[in-house]
Amino acid sequence: MIEARDLRREFGGIVALAGVDLRVEQGERRAIIGPNGAGKTTLFNILTGELAPTSGSVRLGGEDVTARRPHELARRGVARMYQRNELFDPLPARENVALALRAATGPYRPFTAPARSVAAVADALLERVGLGGRGDAAARALSHGERRQLELALALARAPRLLLLDEPTAGMSPAETARISGLIDALERTLTIVVVEHDMDVVFRLADRITVLHEGRVIADGTPAEVRADTQVTEVYLGKVVA
Amino acid sequence: MSPEVFVQQALNGISFGALLFILAAGLSLIFGMMDVVNLAHGAFYMLGAYVTLAIVQRTGQFWLALFVAPAVVGLLGLILEPLLLRRLRGRHLDQVLLTIGVSLVIADLLGLTFGREIHSIPLPAGLDRSTQILGSDYPVYRLFVIAFGVALAAALTLIHRRTRLGALIRAGVDDAQMLDALGVDIDRLFSRTFASGAALAGLAGVIAAPVFGIFPGMDVDALIYSLIVVVVGGLGSLSGAIAGAGLVGPADTFGKVLFPQFALALIFAIMALVLLLRPTGLLGRVRIVR
Amino acid sequence: MRRVVAVAGILALAVLLVTFPIWTADWESSRYATTILRDMLVLAILALSLDLLVGVAGMPSLGHAAFFGTGAYAAAIAAQRLGNDDLLVGLGAAIAVAALLAFGIGLFAVRAAGIFFLMLTLAFAQMVFAVAFQAVDLTGGSNGLAGVHRPTLAGLDFNGADALYQLVAVLFLLVLVLSWRIRSSTYGRALAGLRENERRMRALGYDTTRLKLSAFVLAGAIAGVGGALSAYSLRFVSTNDVGVGRSIEAFVSVLIGGTGTLIGPVVGAVVVLYIERVLPSSIPFAETVLGLVFVVFVVAARQGIVGLAVATYARVRR
Repeated sequence: MIEARDLRREFGGIVALAGVDLRVEQGERRAIIGPNGAGKTTLFNILTGELAPTSGSVRLGGEDVTARRPHELARRGVARMYQRNELFDPLPARENVALALRAATGPYRPFTAPARSVAAVADALLERVGLGGRGDAAARALSHGERRQLELALALARAPRLLLLDEPTAGMSPAETARISGLIDALERTLTIVVVEHDMDVVFRLADRITVLHEGRVIADGTPAEVRADTQVTEVYLGKVVA
Repeated sequence: MSPEVFVQQALNGISFGALLFILAAGLSLIFGMMDVVNLAHGAFYMLGAYVTLAIVQRTGQFWLALFVAPAVVGLLGLILEPLLLRRLRGRHLDQVLLTIGVSLVIADLLGLTFGREIHSIPLPAGLDRSTQILGSDYPVYRLFVIAFGVALAAALTLIHRRTRLGALIRAGVDDAQMLDALGVDIDRLFSRTFASGAALAGLAGVIAAPVFGIFPGMDVDALIYSLIVVVVGGLGSLSGAIAGAGLVGPADTFGKVLFPQFALALIFAIMALVLLLRPTGLLGRVRIVR
Repeated sequence: MRRVVAVAGILALAVLLVTFPIWTADWESSRYATTILRDMLVLAILALSLDLLVGVAGMPSLGHAAFFGTGAYAAAIAAQRLGNDDLLVGLGAAIAVAALLAFGIGLFAVRAAGIFFLMLTLAFAQMVFAVAFQAVDLTGGSNGLAGVHRPTLAGLDFNGADALYQLVAVLFLLVLVLSWRIRSSTYGRALAGLRENERRMRALGYDTTRLKLSAFVLAGAIAGVGGALSAYSLRFVSTNDVGVGRSIEAFVSVLIGGTGTLIGPVVGAVVVLYIERVLPSSIPFAETVLGLVFVVFVVAARQGIVGLAVATYARVRR
C-alpha cells in the first residue's frame, strides 16, 4: 500500500532520518515505536507531504508521490491524526467534521448554502467516534479525550485508504485510552493503519507488525513477538517506556 | 555618466545608505528582539525631526538637538512599551496594528503643533560648506552623514559583540523566552530595547532634517524605506541592516538618476523579491515561525 | 413570525437608505448629510471587501487600497478614453482591472503568511502607488484625474447628486447581500476553516493556496467596485486612492467595527468617516482622535463594536 525507500531528511546539520525503509501492505496495521527524537514525526510529515525528503522516495499504491503536497495526498486517500490536535477550535464539532466532508466536493460554491445532508453525515460520524450529541459544542469546549475523538473523526471523514495516527492516546486517562484504542481496533480491515505510539499496551493490542525507529534508522521490523524478543530493541527503548 | 557625476551620485547613495542604516537599525532591533513590526518607526523618525526643528528654531543649536531629540523619542518609547505593547505580548498582528494607531496620533499631533507646511532648517554651522571632490563641489554635510553612519555602525557592532548588553540582545533575538527562564527581567529588557530602537529612529530624524526637510507625510516615506531595508537585509540582524542599507541606498539613488520613471517601483520590487525568495532576508537568521 | 418581522424590518431600512435624500429634503444640511452618507457607503464597500480577507479568510492585508484605487482609475479612464459613460462599462472596467491586479499580486503574496503577507501586500501596494504616481499621462500623477464623468445606464443619468447617491446606496446593498451570501456559503465556510487552521485544511484535501488566491481576487474585485463609485462620487481620482493612508483607513474601519462580522465593517466605516469628516468641524484633531480610538479598540475591545454588542447582548440575556 505504502512504501518508503531510503528516506533521508536533514535539517541544517541535524539528520532526522538516515535512510528509512518502510513497507506496509494494504489492510495491515503497523505500529512505529521509538524514543523521542527517533524521527517518527518527521517520517509522518514526509508521508503526508508536509515535508519533502532530502532523498529517497515514497510510493502510494504503486504511484510515486514523493513530490506531492499534502492536499494532493489527502485526495489520494491519505488521512492523518496529528499528535497535537489540529482542529477548528472556535467552530462546533459538527462543522469541524462537515469541513472534512465537504473537501470532497470542493469549496468553490460562493452562493450555495451548505447542504443539510452533510450535517446528517457529520452527526453519524460523530456518533461513530463516540461524540454523539456533542455536535453543537465548540471544539475548544470539548475535553481532551473528546478532542482526540474529534481528531479521529476528521481523519475518518473521507473514508481514507491509509490512516496515519500520530500518538492517538497521548495525554489520555486509562478510560479514554481504552475508548480510543477500542475505536481504532474496530475500524474496517480494508483500511491500512500506521500508528506511532508510546503506549505499549495499545501497540501490542493493535499492531500486526512493529517497526522500531532509533536515531533516524530502523533497528527492528517484525511481528510483536519478534520485536519483544529483540535484545537491541530492549536495550534501546523498551526499558525506558512509560505505559 | 561622467566620472564626476558618478562619484557624486555614489557619495549621495552612500550617504543615503548611511542614513537608512541609522533609521533601520532600530526597527531591526525591535523586530529581532520582540518580534514586533513597529509601524510607528516612521513617526518616531518624524518626531526626532520636529524636535530638532523646535530646538533649532529656538536656540539655533543643531548639536544640542542631536542629543535631545533622540532622548525625547527614546523616552516616549520607554513610556509606550509598558503602557500599550506589553498587554499585547504574543499577539503580533495586534501589536502591529497598535503601532499604526500610535503613528496616526503622533503624526497628527505634530501637524497640529507645527503646522502642515514644509519646514527646513539650515545646515549646522561648520558643516555648511562644500569641499572639492574630483574637481567639483560636494556638500560636506553629506560626508558627515557617511562618517556618522559608519561610526554608529561600528559602535553598535562593538556593543553587540563585546558587551553584556549585546550578548543579552543576541540571546533575546534568538530566544527571548529562554532569557526569561534564565531570570533576565524581560519586561525591562523589552522596554529598553523599544526605547533604544525609537531613539535611533529619532536620531535618524535629526541627521536627515537639514537634508530632506521636515513635512507631514515624512513618516510614511521613512517607514516604507526602513521596512524595505530591514526586509532585504534581514530582520533582526545588525549586519543585515548594514547590508540592506548598503544595497537600498545606492540602488535608490542610482535608480532615480538612471530610470526616474521606475525608481520607486524598482525598490519595492527588490523588497518583494527578497520576501518571496528569502523571507529571512539576505543576512537574516533562520526563524521558525509557526 | 419573527422571521417575517426581521425581513420586513431589513427591507424597510434598505428602502429608507436608498430614499434618504428624499425624506431628508427638508433638513437644513440635507445636501451635506447625503454627501457624507454617500462617502460612508463607499468606504463601507471597501471595508466589506477587506473583511473578506481579514475577518473571513484570516489574511490581514495592508495594501487593499491598491485595488480600490485601481478600480477608480479604471472607471475614470474608461469613460475618458472610450468616450462611453455607460455604467456597465465603467463598473466592468473597474472590476476587471482590479481583479486582474489582485490575481497578479496574489500569485506572489499568498505564498507568504502572517507578518510577511502583511508586509508583502504593503510593498505591492506601494508599487502600484509608485506606478500611479509616475504614469502621469495615464493617471495625472500627483495631480490626479479631475472631471470624471458620472455614469449613465439605459437612459438613467446619474449626474445629479441625489441620483448618484441612490446608485451608491443600491450598489452598497448589493455588496452587502453578496457578502452575506458568501459568508454563509460552502465557500465562505471553507475560508473560515482556512482562517482557523490552514494546516488541517491542507490535510483534509483543500488546495489552500488556490483558496487564498480566490479570496484575494474576489476581495480585490469588490474593492474595485468601491473605487469606481468613489471616482464617480468625487469626480476625481488621485494617488491618495491607492495610498497607504486609504489602506489603513479601511483596516481601521474593519477593526473598529468588528472583524469577521457582516455589519462590523459597515459600522466601522460609519464611525471612521464620522471622525474624519464630521468631527473636524468641532475639533481640530480628528486624526488624533481616530488614532486613539483605534488604539483603544486594539488593546481593549479587539472584537470591535459589533463584537462588543454581541457579547453584551449575550450577557444581558442570561
